[in-house]
Parts: sequence; structure tokens; C-alpha cells
Amino acid sequence: MLFNSYEYLIYFLPAAVLGFFAFGEHPRWAVRWLVVASLFFYGWWNPAHLPLIIASISVNFWLAHQIQRSRVRHRWLVAGAAANLALLGVFKYADFLLRTLAQLELIPPIELGLSLPLGISFFTFTQIAFLVDVSRDKASEPSFDNYALFVTFFPHLLAGPIIHHSEMMPQFQSTSNKLADWHNVAAGLFLLAIGLSKKVFLADPLVPLVTAGFDHAQTIGLVQAWLSALAYTLQIYFDFSGYTDMALGAALIFNIRLPINFDSPYRALDLRAFWHRWHITLSRFLREYVYVPLGGNRAAEVRVLANLLLTFLLGGLWHGAAWTFVCWGALHGIGLCIVRLWRRRGRPLPAPIAWAITFGFVVVTWVFFRAHSVNDAWAIIRAMTGVSATTDWPSVHALMLANIAAICALAAGTLIVFTHRNSNDLVHSFAGSWIAAAAATAALTLAVLQLSTVAPFLYFNF
Amino acid sequence: MVNANGPPSRFRRWAAGVLGATGTALTLVAGINAVVDPFQQYRLAAAFPPRFYSLHHRWINPGIAKHAAYETVLIGSSIMESTRNGWIAAACGGPAVNLSMPAISAAEIRTLLDTVFARRAPHLVILVLDFNAFAGRPDARQDSAGPIPLYLYDRNPFNDLPYLLSGTVLKKSISIIAGRADESFRSDTDAPWFWGDRFRFGTAEVLQGLDPTNINARFEQPARTLAGTDASFAHNILPALQRHPDTQFDLVWPPYSMFVWRDFEQRGQLDVTFDFKRDVARAVSGLKNVAIVDLQTHAEVTTNLDTYMDIYHFSPQVNRWMIERTCAGADRVDAATVAGAEARLRAALAAWSPPSTAAR
Repeated sequence: MLFNSYEYLIYFLPAAVLGFFAFGEHPRWAVRWLVVASLFFYGWWNPAHLPLIIASISVNFWLAHQIQRSRVRHRWLVAGAAANLALLGVFKYADFLLRTLAQLELIPPIELGLSLPLGISFFTFTQIAFLVDVSRDKASEPSFDNYALFVTFFPHLLAGPIIHHSEMMPQFQSTSNKLADWHNVAAGLFLLAIGLSKKVFLADPLVPLVTAGFDHAQTIGLVQAWLSALAYTLQIYFDFSGYTDMALGAALIFNIRLPINFDSPYRALDLRAFWHRWHITLSRFLREYVYVPLGGNRAAEVRVLANLLLTFLLGGLWHGAAWTFVCWGALHGIGLCIVRLWRRRGRPLPAPIAWAITFGFVVVTWVFFRAHSVNDAWAIIRAMTGVSATTDWPSVHALMLANIAAICALAAGTLIVFTHRNSNDLVHSFAGSWIAAAAATAALTLAVLQLSTVAPFLYFNF
Repeated sequence: MVNANGPPSRFRRWAAGVLGATGTALTLVAGINAVVDPFQQYRLAAAFPPRFYSLHHRWINPGIAKHAAYETVLIGSSIMESTRNGWIAAACGGPAVNLSMPAISAAEIRTLLDTVFARRAPHLVILVLDFNAFAGRPDARQDSAGPIPLYLYDRNPFNDLPYLLSGTVLKKSISIIAGRADESFRSDTDAPWFWGDRFRFGTAEVLQGLDPTNINARFEQPARTLAGTDASFAHNILPALQRHPDTQFDLVWPPYSMFVWRDFEQRGQLDVTFDFKRDVARAVSGLKNVAIVDLQTHAEVTTNLDTYMDIYHFSPQVNRWMIERTCAGADRVDAATVAGAEARLRAALAAWSPPSTAAR
């Protein structure tokens, strides 16, 4: 079920909230209600994947208990992590591997053709992190209901944020959280309205401009290439951060505070700061469960740089089983290595130059993230540099005329990204004013009326 | 409990106010759209003249299928849109309805048939089978067809929110109430999707932009495989024929211009096409309620380019002729005679010389 769908907004969310608070006096049943609601939410798209997630939760809960009780914890942890990664590997990466081997002519062309269960990366990594923390005595969970809710809680289930056991379980265990808190309900609604508006009024209108460029990568002109790349830069931000706002808003209505995932990332002055502001919970996960175990900063400089590069290669691959994602991850890894070396020199760049380099790098690397192939990505980047393309002004004019709504969204989005307070700030200072009420009402009403042509969220396949 | 930002009653009022105002506004919109019902999903237009908006077949046809009175149904692609309901009724009997849609796929034919039969089984269903409808996977649709609002094809009102709460539909509703004609539409219930009066037909039109040595360059039609077309027919069409033995189904192979067959020849699609026709004849051979009408052997029609606007689309006179031939019981083929029809068509193709480009 999409957050920007009628069935979610009109039927599912109100029913889930009412049911949860109706069970408020019986916290265990409130939790169970939310688990069932979350599984219904998950199964709405493809019920065939429900047994998979239920089995994954059950096996991991059992593994956690084995790890706690065993004297050979490490073996259980390795087995658990391997089982989770195998599941992910079969569904997400097997065909990529088979295709690559076939392209190298090592095997005949063959594909498993399995459909990718929604959110599999999110619920798999959440549970691997839990097993790791159990093995370190940093986590334990005796209640299957609470554990199942930790994994399935529908606001984060499909596209994050990636949650950590330690920040969620106390909230799920709290009995007072099962009673309605009107501040949280109002603030959650406010955040949901912001997120829906980002998706409907800013991200979706940019799609035609993005598609016009990325679908014609080999013949694209200089200005069109930049327009498409910038449009995608804003589209992916408003789409994903809008989705996250809706997730955080829905969770807040249930008195659950999910970790923030975005903090005005395009204002970052270097790539390291960007990754502290973009998909924050993924950065945290990669740092704690990949980079630090590899040795992190506590190694020789060359090893640290290799750790950074490897972490971001895996980060790229986490987003999707394609070489475009690997290239994107590798470029960010290399970029972070350069930033690290530069910082060691102790000569910071002037802020405007630092920002321009960082933002330019992010825009260019998004081309790999969105392109249909590495070849297409290179073609667009060559066009952006002016090496392979010139400016055909009549066709630029025609493109802009045909995509007026997208150009308006591009202008408005740019203004908002660089000058406006972000949603975290807005909800933090939320005081229930009537201006906010009028804005939320208008936003919710107009956004719902725009939903007829629903575009799927970009992050659903990751 | 007092929150740092204010007392709870304030936030309660805020949330109730936002939800109440939003709910009221959306209910109002849904009410207007349900009452005006621009796509005729809940009733045929009565209070206002009907509006058959250009290229809105996929939104409006399910409503017509659910609410119109008919005993005969015609379903086909854009080539059949210029067939008047009155022509079908006169030739085939009973009130009739034409539910053809541009670029219709076999999967969409199945969906439309489900909607038709959920209402009441008609006496006669005429399915004009476009080869391209069977290209790709059995559930494939042409990208150019746009989205299909499947929620309108069932009778579940609870999934109609995309219709009832659509801003686009609201705009149409207001336009209808205000009597404004700010969009392109027809109001002729006898021929909702008729386009034959807006285009010119003739050899010059057919040859416009056509490269006789690479005919498909202009149309970019997909390649088909026999396994794919057979699977699509078995998945989408055959079950409906078997499930409704009391309804007569006439499966019609339409008279494309001879250029189409030359195009198939150029693309190596000729054998696939003939094999598919043979397989369809075999597949329905045991079904007493199914007849196959092959109008593709009429070389006097398919070589007369003056009745075409391009290599696929013919004039309304041809539509009428097709319906009359079909309901007169002419041009029937079956598993035994399909090979003869194929031989005649192959011979006509071999004997045909396309008009020179000087005809432009």
C-alpha cells in the first residue's frame, strides 16, 4: 500500500489509529492490533510475500534467543547473518549475479525471475543489526509481539527510516504510548500533510522532465541534461523525504518517534556533511555495522580509505542490484576519501565554493543512480560537460513549454530546499496555530484531489 | 497533562478541525462527482447531455458496459470505433453497444468482458481481434494506452475513491454543471467514439510518411511470437468463450489494408500470424457458441486504399460492411477451412503491387 494512495489515507490509516487507541487500555492487544494492521499493509500489494516476512521475523526472533542462551554466540550470529543475507541474495541479487556471469560468458543466460518482496532490504538489515546487538549484549527482546511490531510497524516497513532496536523497543513497551496524545496526533497530522505535499506538489510534477532526459540519454543536449539531472536531484529528495515525513507523521500519531532521515542535505558544505544529512539512518547503519567492524578510523590511513570505499560500494549495492548503483556508491566512496584527505590538510574551502563542489558532485552522481545503464549515465554526463552535446535552443524551448508544471516545481523546489525551514524544524516548533491548521487542511485536501494518477515512491525497490 | 507547546485541548481542537474540514471538503467533492458522474459510472447521463471525452474510452466504457441496455456488444480496437450502435443493432438485432478502445490489448478485452457479463449475459459478442492485442505477455498493455482504471470495471463502490476524489473529475463535473464546453467530447450516444468524420481517407493519406521498403518504421508495431500470441489467447479470450455457452461469440479478423500483410512479410511476421489464426481456429473448434469470421481475404477491400486513412484504419463504410457480413453469417472459417483462406490471402499478397509513391 502506498502512503500516497486513497486506500491508505482514507481507509487504512484512520482504521489503524482508531483500532490502536480503542485497545489502549489493553496494551498487549494494542500491539497485536498494530502487528496485524502492519501485515495487512504489507500484504496489500502482494499477499504472496506475507509468509516470507512472517518466517523472517519468526526465525530471527528464535535466532536472537539462541544467541542469548548459547556459549558459542558467534556461530549463531554468523549463521543468522548468513541466513538473512542469503534470503536477500536470492531475491535481490541472484539475477544480477547470473546476468553478470552470463555477460562474461561464464554461464549460459539464465534468470530466477523472482519478484522482489517490498522493503526486503529494510527488514533484513534491521534484523541483522538486532542480532548483532543481541550478540553484544546491547539488545534483548523477550516479547514476540513487541519484536514483530519492531520489524513490521508499517510506517517504516517499506522504505525506512532504518530503525534501531534500542530507540524503538522502549517506545513499544510503554503502556502510556497506547493512549492518544493530542499533541502527537496533531503534530503527526501536520507532518503527514507536509510529506504528502512534497510528494504530490513537488516530486511528482518533476517526473516528466526527468523522464524526458533519462529516456533519451544518448541524444540529450547540454541544457536538457542539466535540467533533467537537477530535476531528478529535487525529485528524489522531495519524494524520499516526503515519504519519510509521512512515515514519521503516521508513527507520531501512534506516539512513536521514528528517527529523522533528512536534514536539508543539499545545504551541506562537504560530502561527509551530506551523508550526515541524507538518509541519515542508512549512514548510521553502514557506519555501525559495516564501516566500524571493518576497522573504521582506527587503522592506517590507506586502510581507512579502503574501508570508506568498501562501505559505500556496499551502500550502493544495497540500493539496487545494478552496476549503476555500484558506480554511484563507488563515486561517493571516492568522494569521501578525497574529502577526508583534504580535511587532513586543514585548509577549508570558502563556504560558497565548498557548497558548489558538494552540490555539483551530488547532482552528477545522481545521474548514475537514475540512469537506465552505465552507458546512459556516461552519455548524460558527457552532455552535461558539453563534450558530446551542444545547446539546441529551439528544442530546449520546446521541452520547457511542454513541461511548464515541472519547470515551476523545479523553481519552487529549489527555493524551498535552499531557503525554507525543513520539516523537522517545522514540526519541532509546531504549536497548533490556526495558520498551520488552514495550511494543513488545504494541503491535505488538494493533495488528495491530485492522487488519481498515483506514481510509486522511488524507494520501494530498495 | 500539558504539553510544552500548549494544552492538549488546543491540539485536540487543531486535529479535529483539520480532519473535520478536510473530511467535509472531500465529502463535498465526492458528492458532486457522484451526482454529476461525468464518466457515467453510476448511471447513464440523464440530467446532463452525455460527454464522451476524447480518448477517455477506458474511463467511460466500463460505465456504459454496466448501465446501457444491450443484447449485442462489439469490442475491438481503434479500427472499430467508427461503428455506430444503430448499424450493429440493425444488422445483428437487439439494442447494441460498441465498447471498442484504442490500442486495446487481449487482457483489456478480458477485463471488459468480465464487466459485460457481470451485468447480464448478452446474446451476441462480436470480438474484432487485432493481432497487436496479443503481442507481449498475456497481461501486457501498450504503453501508449495510458493507465487503466480497473476500479471502474467492478461494482465495488469502496474502491471508486480515485474517481470520486479526483480533482480532474471535479473539474469536469463543474464544467458540466456550468454548461461549459472547454474540452473535446462527443454527445452522440449512438457513436460515442466515432472518428470517421474527422479524417480523410484515400491512397494519398495511406502513403503519407510511408517507406514502402520499411513499412513499420512509421508504426513501430511490436514483434509477436506464436507462443506469446497463443498464450495470450488462451489466457484472455478462450476462458470467456468457454464460460458463457449461451452467448454467441463472433471472432472477427479485420480487413487491414494489404500494406499490413506486406509489413508482416518485411518483418518476418507472416508465418507467425497465419499460424496464430490456425491455432485460434483449432482452439475454438469444439465450441458451438463460437464462430470465426475472416474478412482478410476480401482483396477488393484490402487493396482499395481509397477506403483507408492509414495502413490499418479504414472508413466507417468498411466498419458497417464488416458488421453486416458478420451478422449475415458470411465469411465463416473453421479449423478445416482456415488453410484455404490463408492460401487465398497469400496469393492475393503475392499478386499485389503497392501503388507507386507518385500517388502521393
